[in-house]
Amino acid sequence: MARHPKERRPDLGGMTRREVLKRSVAASLALPGAAALLEACARPGATSEGSHANGPGAGKYWPAGSPYPLARQDSPVTWKLWRQPIKSGLAPEKGATLQIYNWDSYIFPRVVKEFCAAYNCKYQITTFNNIDEALAKMRTGQLQFDIFFPTPDILGKLITGKLLQPLNHSYVPHLVSDAWETYQNPFYDQGWHYTVPYAVYTTGIGYRRDLISDAQIRGMSNPYDILWDTTYKGKVGIYDDYREAISMALLKNGISDLNTGNKNYINQAQQALVSMISAVNVRTSINGAYIGIPKGTYDVHQAWSGDMVASWFYTPKQDMKTWQTLGYWFPSDRKGAVFNDTITIPASAQHPVLAHRFLDWMMTFKNAMLNFSWNGYQPPQRKADPTELTTTKSSYTGEPYVWPWLADAVVHESDFHTGYFEEELTPQVDALWHNAWQAFNSGVS
Amino acid sequence: MSKTVSERPRVDRRSEGPVPPAGSRSTRTPLGWWRNPWRRPRILATLTWAYLAWSLLPVLIAVGISFNSGRSNSVWQGFSTQWWWGHPSADPSGALFVSPELRAAMIQSLRLSFLTMFIAVPLGVAFAIGISRWRGPVPAGANFLMLFSFVIPEIIVGISMFLFFTYLLKFVHLGTGGQLLALVTYQISYPVIIVRARMLSIGKEYEEAATDLGASPTQAIRRVLLPLLYPAILVSFALVFADTIDDFITVRYLSAGANTEPLSVKIYNFSRGALTPAINAAATFLLFSTLVVAVIGVLLYRRITRGQRGQTQEMTEHLT
Amino acid sequence: MSAKEPASRPRLRLRLRRRRRSGEEATGAWYPRWYWPTFAFPGTLWVLVLFLLPFYVVVSIAFGTVDPVFQSPLPVYEPWFWTTKYLLEEWDLVTGQFRSVEVRTLVYVLVATAICLVIAYTVAYYVARFGGKRKGLFLTLLIAPFFISYLMRMLSWVELLQPNGYVNSVLTFLHITPHPINWLAGVPFTVVVGLVYGYIPYMILPLYGFLDRIDQSQLEAGRDLGANPFWTFVRVTLPLSKPAILASLVIVTLPMFGDYYTNNLLSGSPKTTMFGNLLDNSMEATGQGPEAAILVLFLAVFLLIPMLYYMRETAKAQRQQ
Repeated sequence: MARHPKERRPDLGGMTRREVLKRSVAASLALPGAAALLEACARPGATSEGSHANGPGAGKYWPAGSPYPLARQDSPVTWKLWRQPIKSGLAPEKGATLQIYNWDSYIFPRVVKEFCAAYNCKYQITTFNNIDEALAKMRTGQLQFDIFFPTPDILGKLITGKLLQPLNHSYVPHLVSDAWETYQNPFYDQGWHYTVPYAVYTTGIGYRRDLISDAQIRGMSNPYDILWDTTYKGKVGIYDDYREAISMALLKNGISDLNTGNKNYINQAQQALVSMISAVNVRTSINGAYIGIPKGTYDVHQAWSGDMVASWFYTPKQDMKTWQTLGYWFPSDRKGAVFNDTITIPASAQHPVLAHRFLDWMMTFKNAMLNFSWNGYQPPQRKADPTELTTTKSSYTGEPYVWPWLADAVVHESDFHTGYFEEELTPQVDALWHNAWQAFNSGVS
Repeated sequence: MSKTVSERPRVDRRSEGPVPPAGSRSTRTPLGWWRNPWRRPRILATLTWAYLAWSLLPVLIAVGISFNSGRSNSVWQGFSTQWWWGHPSADPSGALFVSPELRAAMIQSLRLSFLTMFIAVPLGVAFAIGISRWRGPVPAGANFLMLFSFVIPEIIVGISMFLFFTYLLKFVHLGTGGQLLALVTYQISYPVIIVRARMLSIGKEYEEAATDLGASPTQAIRRVLLPLLYPAILVSFALVFADTIDDFITVRYLSAGANTEPLSVKIYNFSRGALTPAINAAATFLLFSTLVVAVIGVLLYRRITRGQRGQTQEMTEHLT
Repeated sequence: MSAKEPASRPRLRLRLRRRRRSGEEATGAWYPRWYWPTFAFPGTLWVLVLFLLPFYVVVSIAFGTVDPVFQSPLPVYEPWFWTTKYLLEEWDLVTGQFRSVEVRTLVYVLVATAICLVIAYTVAYYVARFGGKRKGLFLTLLIAPFFISYLMRMLSWVELLQPNGYVNSVLTFLHITPHPINWLAGVPFTVVVGLVYGYIPYMILPLYGFLDRIDQSQLEAGRDLGANPFWTFVRVTLPLSKPAILASLVIVTLPMFGDYYTNNLLSGSPKTTMFGNLLDNSMEATGQGPEAAILVLFLAVFLLIPMLYYMRETAKAQRQQ
C-alpha cells in the first residue's frame, strides 16, 4: 500500500527509498523506456533504512537519516568489504589501456608513461572539473575507469553506492614501506580498505613577498586579516569553492571546527566574507594562486600549498629574483586547514591488477617525487624529509622541490594531528553552507 | 529585389557644376556638401570601421600570440612554431599537432562538427519548408519549441540531455552518439530560422508556375524551390559547423572519456588552468577549420549558381 | 456581408474547397494534405523527443527529490507526486536574497542590448546602404566572428585587459588615464561591454538582411514629400525595421539573461554576479539539483513572455503579407 504523499519523512527530503521506488515503478509504466527506468530504480545506489549493523561501515558519528557514517578526525570510520578484493598473485593484464579519471592537469603524464613502459600497456587520462560531474558520470555505469582520484569526503557515497572495489594489499607493498604510517589507518578509511593517499596539502595564504614582507604577515596577530586589508584593494582573491572560502572565514573568526553546523558561526563567516566585497573588492577564482599571483593579477590570494610550490613555473620572467616574490603563509602552530587526495580503483575497472600495480607505482618514492616536481603537490613519503625538501634538488627541474622561502608550504605528518580536516557534511548542514555561499555571491550579508 | 543607392550609376555630380538635387546650393560648399543626400556618411563609415576593428583585432592578436616564443599570453616574446609543431617546455606532451591527446581532440572536433552539420541542416531545412506552408497548432507548437531551444541557455540544454540520457533513454550511451544527439537538438533551429526567413521572401509564385507547367509537387520542390534556397542552405551549413566546433558546454556533459572530448573542451580546461599560447594555437586551429569549410561553401555556391550569378548584392541578398 | 449564395453554386464551391486542402488560400498549386506535414515531421519529432522530454525531466527534478546516498537529483515523473518544497524555498530566495542580482542582471542586459542595437543598426545600415563594391568584404568581416570560438574572443579580451596588457599600455601612452586601470576587478563596465562584444554579431546579420532589402522607392517617397534624411530615417526606415529589430532582440537579449560565463571570465567579483552565475553555482553544487532546476524554470518562465510576444508579432506580420 503506497503511503500518502503527505506523510513525509522530513530528513530525507520528503520521500523514503521505498516510496521513490514505487513511484518510479509507476512512472516507468507510463513512459517509454520502461525497462530502462526499472533498471534505473534498481541501480545500486540507495541503501535500505535498515539498522546500522547492515550499513556499509562502522563509525562513531552516524547522524540520523544518513545511509553511512560520516568520518571525522576524532570519529574514524571503518568500511566493510562489500565484495572480496581480487585474488593475490595474479599477473597484470596484457595489452591494456589504463583508464585514469583525474582532475585536470593533476598527474604528470611522464610518470604514467614510465609505468606503461614498465608494464607494457597504454594509458588514457580523462579529466573532470568538479567532483559532482565525476560522480554523475561514474554512476551511469557506462564508463569504466581503472583509477579514480576522489577526495575523502565523497568516500561514503562511493562505497555505499558500491562504486569502488576493496584493495588487495599484497599488490601495493610500497604504501607500507614508503608512505607515511598514518595512511595505513587514515580516519576516513581505517585499515586502508579502499584508498591510498595521493597528495597532501594545506590551505593558507599566498602573497607577493615584494609587497608584503614575510615578517609583516607573520607578525600579525591574525594573519588571515591580511585578506581584508584595504591596502590591497582590488588585488585580493579567494577560492571559488564554498567549503574553502567559508572555512577560511571561520578560521579568521577563531572557529576551528571546519565541519560546523552551527548557524551562528556560519552566519558570522558569511558576514565576514561579504564585508570583503566592500573592503577589498574581493574576487573568486580557481587558479588565482598559481597563475594570478605570478602574473600580478592578485597581490594576496587564498592558496593551497601545492599551488604556491608550483607557481614558479608560471612567472612571466623566469629568474630567481621573480621567483623570490612568491610567498606562502600557514599558521606556525600548524593549526590550519589540511587535506589530502586519494587514489582508488572503481568497481567496474577492466584491469584491476594493473590498477593495483599503478597504485603501488604512485606509492613508490622515486615516482611520487617525480610527480611532485611537476605538479607541486607533496606526496606523503617517508623518505622525503620535510626539513630537507627545501634543500634537496629535484632531478626533473634541477631546483629544490620547495623553495626555501616557501618553507611553510611543506606538509609534515604531524599536521594531520594538529590541523583541521574538511570532511563530509550532512545534507542539512551542507545546505546551510550552500545558502551562505549563494548569499555571499549575491552580496547579501 | 530592391536596389540600393550604391547601384546607381556612379556620377560625380560635383564635376557637373551646380546641379543641386535638393535645395539650391552647390555641393562644393560645406553647407551644400552637408545637404547632399548622396554623399557617403563619414560618421557611419568611421563607426563601422571602428566596430570591425574592435571586433576582429583581439582575435588577430590572439592568433599572433599562438606563435609566441615565450609562454606569456599577453606579451609578444618572439616568433616560434613551438606551440604548433614543437615541444614547448610548458607542455611536455607536445604541441597541438604532436600531442596524441590534442590530435585525438582535433579529430573528435571535426567528426562531431561534420556529422552534426549533415544531420541538423537537412532536418532543419525540411522543417522550415514544411512549416512555411503548413499552418496549424502543431507546427506552431513545434516552431515555438525550436525557437525556445535556441534562446534557452545552453547549459540547461546540456544538463537536461545528460539527465535524460542517463535516467530515461539509457540505451543512448555517453560519447559521440549522445553528444551528436544533443548537438543536433541545439543546432537544429539555426537552419530553420535562416531558411524560414528566406522562404518568407520567396513566395509561392515559383512553385505555382512550375506546377502550372506540369511539374509534380516533388519536382517543383526539387527543381525550383531548393535551388532558390541554396545560399540559405549553404549559410546554414557553415554556421552550424562553426557553432558546433566551438561548443564546449553540451559536449562536456555527454563525453565518455578523453577520446570523446573535442578540442573546444580542452580549450575550456586550459582556460581554467594554465594559460599558455597552447590554447591560442588550439583556438586558431578551430578558426582555420571553420574558415576552410566556409570557403568551400562559397566556392560550391558559385559553382552551383554559375549560370545565375549576378552581382555581389544579389548573392548577399540571398544569404539573409 | 454577402447575400446567401444561389443554389446553383455548390459544385464550384466544392472544387474550391478541395483546392484549399493544403490549408492555404486558393492557390494554383495543388498539394496533397500530407505533403507539407511530412517535411516538417522529422524535425517536429526530433524536437519533441529530444527537447521537450528532457525539459520535462528538468521539471520532474524541480518538483522531485534527492537521492539519499548520493544527494543527486531524483526526478519524479508523475505530477501528482510532486513536492513544492523547493519551489517555495527558491521563491523566497528569488523574491528576497536574489533581488539585487536580478535587478543587476536586468540592468546589464538592457544596457548591453541598447548598446548592441545602436552599434548593430549603425553598422548594418551603413553596410546595407553605402557598402557599394565593398559589400562582400564587409559581409565577410561581419560574419567572421561567428566562425571564431566565443571562448577565444573573450580570452583575447581578458589578455588585453590585464593590468599590464595592451589596452592599459595604449591608454596610458595616450594619457587618457594617468595609471593602469584594473579592468578585470569587478568592473560593471567591463562586464557590460563583454556582453556586447559576445552577442553583437548575432544582431548585425538579421538587421543587415532586412535593411538590404528595404524598398528604395519607399525611402524616396519620404524624401520627395519633403523629409530630410534624418526624418526619412525616423519616420520610414525605423518603423519598417520593427520585425527585424524584434527578431534580433529575441536572438540576443533572451540568451543574455542566462549568461554566466562572461561574468566569470571578465570579473570574478560578487559585485557583478548575474542570475546565470547563481544558476551555475546551484548546478555545480551537490544536493542542490532541485534548487537549480527551479531556478531554471523561473528563468524559462521569465523568457517565455517575450518569446510569446515575438511569435504573436511574427504571426501577425505573416498574415499581413
